[in-house]
Parts: sequence; C-alpha cells; structure tokens
Amino acid sequence: MIRYFARRLAFALVLVIGVSSATLMLTRLAPGDFITESLGTGASQQTIAQQRARYGLDKSIGAQYRDWIAGAARLDLGYSMQYGRPVRDLIPERAANTAILAITALLFATLIGLPLGVITGSRRGGAMAGAIRAASLVLLSMPPLLTSLFLVFLAARTGWLPISGMRSATVPAGGALIDLLRHLVVPAAAIALPLAAMLERLQAQAMSEVIRAPFVLATLARGVPQSRVLWRGALKAALRPVAGVYGLVIGSLLSGSFAVEVITAWPGLGSLMLQALRTRDIYLVAGCAGAGALFLACGTLVSDVALAAVDPRVSEMRTERA
Amino acid sequence: MTRDVGAALVALALVAAGAAPIVAPHAPDSHFSQLLNAPPTIVRLVDAGGRWHAPFIYPWRLVNQLEQRYEEDRSTIAPLAWFSGGKLLRSSNDEAPLLLLGADNYGRDVFTRLIFGARTSLALAIASAFGAMFIGVSLGAAAGFSGGAVDEVLMRATDFVMVLPAIYVALALRSVLPLVLTPGQVFALLAAIFAIVGAPFVARGVRAIVRSERRLDYAAAAEALGASDARLLVRHLIPAARGFIAVQITMLIPAFIVAEATLSYVGLGFPDPVASWGTMLHDASTNIRVFADFPWLLSPAAAMFLVVLGVNLVMQHNRSPERLALHGYVRGPLV
Amino acid sequence: MCRQLFLAAVVCTIAGAACGSNTTSNATTAGASRSGIPRGGELLVSVRSEPRSFNRHAARDTTTSLVSNLTQSRLVRVNQATQAVEPLLAESWTTEDQGRQLTLSLRRDVVFSDGHPFTADDVLFAFESVYDEKTGSVLADSLQEGGKKLQVSATDPYTVVVTFPAAFAPGIRLLDSLPILPRHKLEGALKAGTFRKAWSLDTQPAEIVGLGPFLLSEYQPGQRLVFTRNPKYFAKAPDGGALPYLDRVVAEIIPDQSAELLRLESGQLDMMTSEISPEAYAPLKRAADEGRVKLLDLGVSRNADAFWFNLKPGAFGEDPRAGWLQRDELRRAISMAVDRKLFADTVFFGAGVPVYGPETPANKIWYWPGLPQTPHDAAAAKQLLASIGLSDRNNDGMLEDAQNRPARFTLLTQKGRPNLERGAAVIRDELKKIGLTVDVAALDAGAVIDQLLHAKYEALYFNADKSDLDPGTNPDFWFSFGSAHMWNLEEKAPVTDWEKKIDELMARQIATLDEAKRKTIYNDVQKIFYEHQPIVYFVAPRIYVAHSSRVMNLTPSEYRPQLFWRPETVAVVH
Repeated sequence: MIRYFARRLAFALVLVIGVSSATLMLTRLAPGDFITESLGTGASQQTIAQQRARYGLDKSIGAQYRDWIAGAARLDLGYSMQYGRPVRDLIPERAANTAILAITALLFATLIGLPLGVITGSRRGGAMAGAIRAASLVLLSMPPLLTSLFLVFLAARTGWLPISGMRSATVPAGGALIDLLRHLVVPAAAIALPLAAMLERLQAQAMSEVIRAPFVLATLARGVPQSRVLWRGALKAALRPVAGVYGLVIGSLLSGSFAVEVITAWPGLGSLMLQALRTRDIYLVAGCAGAGALFLACGTLVSDVALAAVDPRVSEMRTERA
Repeated sequence: MTRDVGAALVALALVAAGAAPIVAPHAPDSHFSQLLNAPPTIVRLVDAGGRWHAPFIYPWRLVNQLEQRYEEDRSTIAPLAWFSGGKLLRSSNDEAPLLLLGADNYGRDVFTRLIFGARTSLALAIASAFGAMFIGVSLGAAAGFSGGAVDEVLMRATDFVMVLPAIYVALALRSVLPLVLTPGQVFALLAAIFAIVGAPFVARGVRAIVRSERRLDYAAAAEALGASDARLLVRHLIPAARGFIAVQITMLIPAFIVAEATLSYVGLGFPDPVASWGTMLHDASTNIRVFADFPWLLSPAAAMFLVVLGVNLVMQHNRSPERLALHGYVRGPLV
Repeated sequence: MCRQLFLAAVVCTIAGAACGSNTTSNATTAGASRSGIPRGGELLVSVRSEPRSFNRHAARDTTTSLVSNLTQSRLVRVNQATQAVEPLLAESWTTEDQGRQLTLSLRRDVVFSDGHPFTADDVLFAFESVYDEKTGSVLADSLQEGGKKLQVSATDPYTVVVTFPAAFAPGIRLLDSLPILPRHKLEGALKAGTFRKAWSLDTQPAEIVGLGPFLLSEYQPGQRLVFTRNPKYFAKAPDGGALPYLDRVVAEIIPDQSAELLRLESGQLDMMTSEISPEAYAPLKRAADEGRVKLLDLGVSRNADAFWFNLKPGAFGEDPRAGWLQRDELRRAISMAVDRKLFADTVFFGAGVPVYGPETPANKIWYWPGLPQTPHDAAAAKQLLASIGLSDRNNDGMLEDAQNRPARFTLLTQKGRPNLERGAAVIRDELKKIGLTVDVAALDAGAVIDQLLHAKYEALYFNADKSDLDPGTNPDFWFSFGSAHMWNLEEKAPVTDWEKKIDELMARQIATLDEAKRKTIYNDVQKIFYEHQPIVYFVAPRIYVAHSSRVMNLTPSEYRPQLFWRPETVAVVH
C-alpha cells in the first residue's frame, strides 16, 4: 500500500514537472512574447531589446529553462511578468477561489446528477426519464460560455442575485459569508449544470446495464425490497464508470473553467491562466499548468481509490502484492 | 420507436448537411448589408388585407440602423419559389431574401450558415470522435487487459495528454504553420488534435471496464474454451464498454464543436467565410443582445442538441451480448 | 447624524470663506456645496483588467494609468474636451528662446497625501526617474524630443526650467504624461536601482503617497480597487470648497463586456472607463428611455482603424507579387474600391464617419476639411490596377498579373476585436468586387505585433492610435526613423522621396512656434499623405458612453477614459 502511494506521488511529481516544462517551452515557441504584447506598437527596437533583457527573454530557450528548473527545485517558481509578483504567491490565492467554486459545483452536480441518473437508468420509458434525458442533452449541447452568459443574463433580469464578482465592495448587512454565497450561485450553477448532466448520462448508462445483471435478479428473487436493491446493490456496482471519471472531474474543476470565470468575473485560476496565455507570461503559464497537473494527479488518485472502494475486485492496491 | 426517432434526426442532419447547396436558400458567403441582425422572415399565407396567397414573406425594412430595428414592409409581397435557381426553397424577390432563422451581425442568413456549418462541424466532430474512440479504446483495452507496467505507462501517458492544455500546443503550432491554411488543412489538423485530446477520457473509462470485466466468470470461461487474447478483447471485453463509449461520444461531439471556436482564438480555426457551429455560437455569445433580442443566433445550439439527442436515442439500447440471454428474465417493477 | 455633519460643513465653509480664500478647508463632505453640486458619495466604475503595477513607470496598461490618474498629479493637464493645456501643479509658465526653454511656476502650499510639502525637488526627481537607465521607464520614450532627453533644473523651490534640445512647439503638452512622484518615499529605491520594482502590486496601499485627488485604500486582487478621497488635495472647486466631490471610488475589475453592460443597465455600475460597443447601443437606449442611465453621443473618435501594406523594401523577396504589392496605385485603388458608407453601416451600424486621412473631424484644430475625399469608384479602381499590370486576363472575374498569377494577398488582423474583424471582412468582400482576392488571417494580439515587428506580414488591418492630438507629439509615426512608422518601421534613411519630404515638413512643423504656420505645414503633410496613401483609412466610429443617472458634473470627451479623465470634478447624487 505504501509503495503504491509512493509510486503515485513520484509520478505526480514527474507529471507536474513535465507539464510545466512543456507549457513553458510551447509558450516560448509561440509567436510574440510578453514584451511585444505589453509594449504594443510604437516601441523602438532598442526599447524592445532592453526590456527583453530586463525580463530575461533574450536568453535561449535552453538557458531559460535551466534557470527556471533550478529555481523550481528551490520552490522559486519565478515572477509573473504581468503582475510583478512571485508566481508562488499568485497561484494559491487564485486556486483557493477556484476551489470554493469547484467544491460547491461538484457537490451540487453530484447531488443532482447521480440520483437523476439512477432514476433514468432504471426506467426504460416514462415521461420523466425522457424529460430528464432531454434536459441533460440540452445542457451538454450548450457551450460553457453560453450557459454562463445565460445565467448572468437571468441574474441581471431578475435582480435576485449579484451579476458578477466574488464579493461585494461593501460587506452587506447579512455578513460576509452570505455575501459570498450569493455571489457563488451563478458561477457554481454555470459549472454544476453541465456537470450534473454529464454525471446523469454516465450514471444512467451504467445503471441501465447493471439492472440486467444476474445478481440483481437474484437479490430481487430473495425478496429484498426493490428500492433497496436499486439504491444499494445496483447503485454500488453502477458507480464504477462515474468513479472512474470523478477524479478527472475534480482535477479539471480545480484548474478552473475560464469561460465561467471570465464572464462572472470570478478571480480564479482559469481566468489567470487565460490571461497568462494572452500575455505570454511564461513563468505564470508554467505555474498554472503545473498546478493543473497537480490537481489532476490528485484527482486520478482519488478516482482510483474510489474505484477500488466501489469495486473491490479490482483494487490496484491489492494486486500490488502479487 | 424512440430509436427510430433518433435515427431520423441523425439522418435529417446528415442529409441536410450533404445537400447543403440545394437546401440552403443562399450561397454560404452571401451577405445583406442592410439586414444586419434581421429577425426571421415569417412565412405567411394570409396578407394584411385578409387575402390568401401561396406562401410568401414580407421584406424587412430598416427602421433604426444603430438600434437594429426592423419592421415588415407590408406593401410588398414576396412569394416563395420551390425548386428554383437550384435551391429547394427561396424567395422569388432578390430584394426580399428568405431568412428562415434571421441574419447574423454581418447580414448573413443564419439558416444557410447553419446548414453549411453542419457540414463542417459534424464532419469534424464525427471524424474526431471516431479518432478519439479508436485511439482511446485501443489504449484503454490494452491497459486494462495487460495490467502491470503496460497499464502504468499508458495511463500516465494519457494523464499527461489530459492535463496539457491543447491551446498551448495550438499556439506553438501557429508559429510553424503558414499564415493561411486551407479549410481542408485546418480540418485535418483539428481532427488530429481533438482525437488525441479526446482519447484519454475514453481510454480511462474503457480501461476501468475492461479491468473489471476481465475478472468475471464469463471471461475466464471464454479463456478456458481457448479464446485468444485478441478474441477475448474484441468479442467480449470491448463490447462490454460499448455503453460507456456511446455516452462518451455523446458528450464529446458538442465539446469538439465548441472547442473549434476556442482554438480559433489562437488562430487555428476555420477561416472567416467558412461557417461552423462553434464559431457561430461563439459570435452569438459575444453579442450582448442575444438572449433578449436575437435568440435565433442560438440556433446552432438547438441543432447540436437535436443531433446529440438523435445519436443518444440510437445508441441507448445498448446491451452487452452476454446479457442479452438474461434479458428476458428481468421484467417486472424494476423495468 | 447627517444633519449635524451638514451643519458642521456649513459652519466650516463659512469660516473658511471668512478666513480668506487660500485656507485649506478640511470641510467634511456631507451635504451640498453652495454651487449645488453634491459632495460625498461613492462612484462605481468598471475596468477591464487588473493593474500590472502601482508604479506608472513600470507598466502602461489602462488600469495602471487609471490608478496613476487618481492618486498622482502632473505639472499640467491637457483638457481632453477643449485640447487646451491647463495648469495643475504648475500655476503658470512662460516659453523663451523660441520654445527651447520652458519656465514653470509651481503652486505653493501643496502637500503630498502624507503631509510632506511639494517642491521643485519632486519635479526634478520625476525627471530623474523617467530617464534612469536602470529603471527603463515605459514613459521614457514620451518624454523625449528627437530621441534626446530634456534638461531640467530648479532655480528656486517653486520654479522649474525645462530645456528642450531643439525648438519644440508642443513642448508643454509632453508634461501631461509625467506623474510627479514623492521623492521622500521613492528616492531610496531609485538610488538602489530597484525603482522599477517599487510600488508593485504587493505594496501596502498606505505606502502609495501622491498629489492626486484620491488615495488607494484597498486592492483586492482580481476583484476591485478602492480609492478614498485625499483630504489634502490641492485643487479647489470653483466655489472654494474642497475637491474631490466624491468620497469613494470603487473600480470593479470586470473582464467581460456583456457582464459589464448588464451591470450598467441594472444600476449596479455607475460608468465604464471606455466607450460602449455598437451592439450595446440598443439595450442602453432602452434603459435611457426608462430613465435608468444617460446615454451620451460624444462625437466622432479621433482614431480610425488603419489598413496598410508592408512597404519595407525587399520584404517580399523573390515573391513575384512584389512588383505590385508595394505600389501606390494599389492602395489608391483600394481606397476607391471600398464603399465607406457600407463600411460604416456594417462595422459600426451606421454610427461612423468616412475618413480619408490620419486625422478625423474630432481633431478640431488639426483636421483639414480641404483634404480631397476619395470617391467611391470601382471602375476607376480597376483602371488603376490595370495600370500596374493587374487585369482580368482569363475572364473569370478576378484579376491576374502578366504571368496569369492570381492577384491575391493576405490581410492580417487581430482576433477578438469585432471592429477589426468585421472591418477586415468588409475589405475582403469589397475588394472581391474589383477582382482582388484577400485572405483574412486573424491572430491574437501578441502574434500580430510580432509579425508587424518582424515585417513578415503582407497587409495589416490594425489600429495606429495616437494619444495626443498635436501631431508634433507623435514623431514616431510621422518620421521615417520612427518606431511607429507603421508601414516601414525605423527606416535608416527615408526610402521614398515623399517620406523625405514629410520628414522635412514635420521637422519644421515641430520647431515653428507660430500656430497658423504649423497648421499650413501640417495641411501640406496631410496632402502628401493623401497622394501616396501609405495607410488607407476608411471610417472613424462615433463614440457613445453611458452612465447611471446619479452621476453629474461630467466633462465628457471622446478620448478614454471619456467620463473620468477629470476625476476630481465628478459628483454623484446620493
């Protein structure tokens, strides 16, 4: 067991370094660099060269990478060229904001999507199952940009909720937490709804297969009440594919969805990454990609643990002994 | 029954896309500069005076250009013509174009772009989905079946692909590619990128299923009967993942269509006059008035939904072959 | 509570008036001033991105500029509505020696927000920091004349003498871009060579001391900047009361235009710091009709988007198209072929004015109405193209050159800017009508500028915006050696005769002090520009802005930030 976790940890490290390095190189190879974007038109060649030297962009890719990896070993991830702040400070700040959003969205998506998937999966026909499936497909067909825009538009029209941002400028009477929760509704819904749809579809598919399994028939024949068979026995088996992707979902949510964050002005990791890409802020890019890789590695670990819990026959940790 | 509905939807989409030059009332790059964001022309049978005509439309007249307000010009009747000029249906009056779904912010007929866009987007999505499926199933099955080192390596490789944002690859590619790419080149490039990016999700799920199915009795039985690894995989294990793969494809298709618009941000998308659902939706999303005033601009989302629904309905009754035998026994309250 | 404050305000103002008009009245801000403009209240503005620094010398993005405008002050300010130069920290000035020397008298009894007195030393420090090599200030280029620095000296604590390397008519206008930073806070950093890192985003807001009307009180990364009024601000309202009128300004960071607009419509925002897009006009008009916002037409913009070819000699190398791609006739033909009214209708929904040169009617002083206007004549355009060897040789409707190669070029523009993308589409479609095939490639900003700097593009549709209206403040655009000479950056020597002529004329224009003479010379420059069309301009948009109905006392100008370039005079009803 320990060896298993140690191996996964080691791999996570490799993944983080690999992805950060790859994005750093790719951004260096991209047309334009931070200087061209920040100085815009009208800067003389001399100024451009000076500023490049100031930010270390005149070094060769190899030299720059060597310097960066040496710093990364000391946990110095470089400075963001845009903001002049250490990458090490910027990312956790934004990641925390995204985490709040991600956890809320995940909670809602799971609470809505899984049970609905069980219901649709265990009924072959029925109007309700059809309606839920249609709703899921609508949500899956809408791009995240559109969903968030629509929700923001609704918020504006109804006036019930703040239109964008994470907190209000002045803390209102109800307190800071209520203020945060009110701001959380729109972006969390924008992420949770398509996610719930995806979970529902996966769960429905898995469920519809499992209920045809012999063990289900056998359990029913033994006289166990139908609902218990459904919600205990069958569900556990049907969680397999969902457990498989759950970790990925966690990982990608923690990296932030830039469409939702930009439209709802939520200061998270996704919008930071988009901004870093736009301005070719290479160290920030590398840092964000590395953070994303870290989240994914943790996510896949969670996923595999969940898979083992759900389906004890395939515990990877157990086969390690063999 | 619902399976037939699904098949009909998919067939309709494919036929419309295939016969685009005939079905669409206009050429894909035609635009009407006096009809920016014009609403759909309503097909009528009765005119303002209460007289019956063959189906016709009133032309739009611009009332306020900056506010983009139009009103119907009730003085002119533009009858619709079937099978004229090589088109299925169009307006017989060139000054009063048929805009079944209105016009976009450049004055192009949305219905025409929807049909032509279906060609681009559906072809891309289908090609990418097949590519992702092919790569993902191969890798996932191999990993789930072999276990051990092969499994480790393959899964870590897919992890790497999953977490590396494709947009950086696209950005870096931009600097080595020529500035102007033909739509065919863009298509091939995007399909390749999407297939690689979509594969890991398929691979992960397939691997999980193959792993667990591997240990089931029927697999052991098949092996005992002398089935080779390949036969076991192809005939028993992979089909067990059919349901999952079907759902994945349902989710990947809209994702690919939308991703084309995202990649076009870094210059790796279809060049401008080429219509694609992803770009149409992106342009609609950036138009502030879309929900309140120009909802017809969102028709690609509706079209995507119908296609995805069709695919979903077609694939829904997927059963693994072994289970078919038991199917007849599972009746009653649960089903 | 409010009433007591109001009473106190009245008492203080009366006491202040009784003591003489120069006393700094620390009057509290509740209640209305005698002129009827309400004091106090909070203004909510929106900005599109985070600031990159609080140090104006380290970054030039719009939000950093806004922070600088609110918390710092300058010697003079160009009134964006009238174009006149107004005194700010400098009370008055005189020009001597044919414009080579500028003597400024500084205001007395001015203190920084921490109480430290302002003297000529701070002005000298400002110049030192701009020119400091180690700092590499982004403002250095704009504070130079002909590539040379200005000499500054102080004859006494309230008099500064600025000497220009050569006679420079618009000299005083340059000082509008130099913020006067506190020597006592930043001298250490300058001496240690860390000036550029000073006042970065990590800085405590209390450390940021300035002469401006507001103080930075809070920075919430990714969310907002909060400013409170500077009680020690030196300028006074016309009625003698304290400025600024506002108590608080909150700048919300809203990256998405749709969300920004929705907030403005629903009253959760008072104003934006830039103009609205043409699409936003209709919903804001509806809101204006209902009385929730006020919509302002600020007239035509001073900048139009620019279309130009790569005119660097040899840029096309062996490409056979080099024979016609860099010819004047091609550009004149394009100018004739594009229907500017159609352009305005399609790109700006009709809210645009055709322009035929680098100046638009917004530049009341320098725009020349006598400039010939290119007629929209497709037939004449085709004739011009025939004269450089492009005609339809195989009757397919498109033009070919003498070797039957199609007349085709690539137009590069920026992705994500609807005005540019739509404009490029219009150009492509209009040129198709005369037989030229245009491939439009839209890339992100960094990639476009990279192509521009390396002169790797064929044609570019982009913006070549000027900030100040006096052409003398834009030498980088006009002179052939300039870094903003878009069609051929930083030429070592003028490549064409007409560019040589423009160089000579502009040099004279800058050195002449006689305004009328400068105007005549500049008209000649515009004429030469028109004859050779190194840049083809099509349409300049009309500028519309909106603000909530509670905002008042604005001095709108079509230049960004349209409603907030004079922040101390803005007031809200509260």
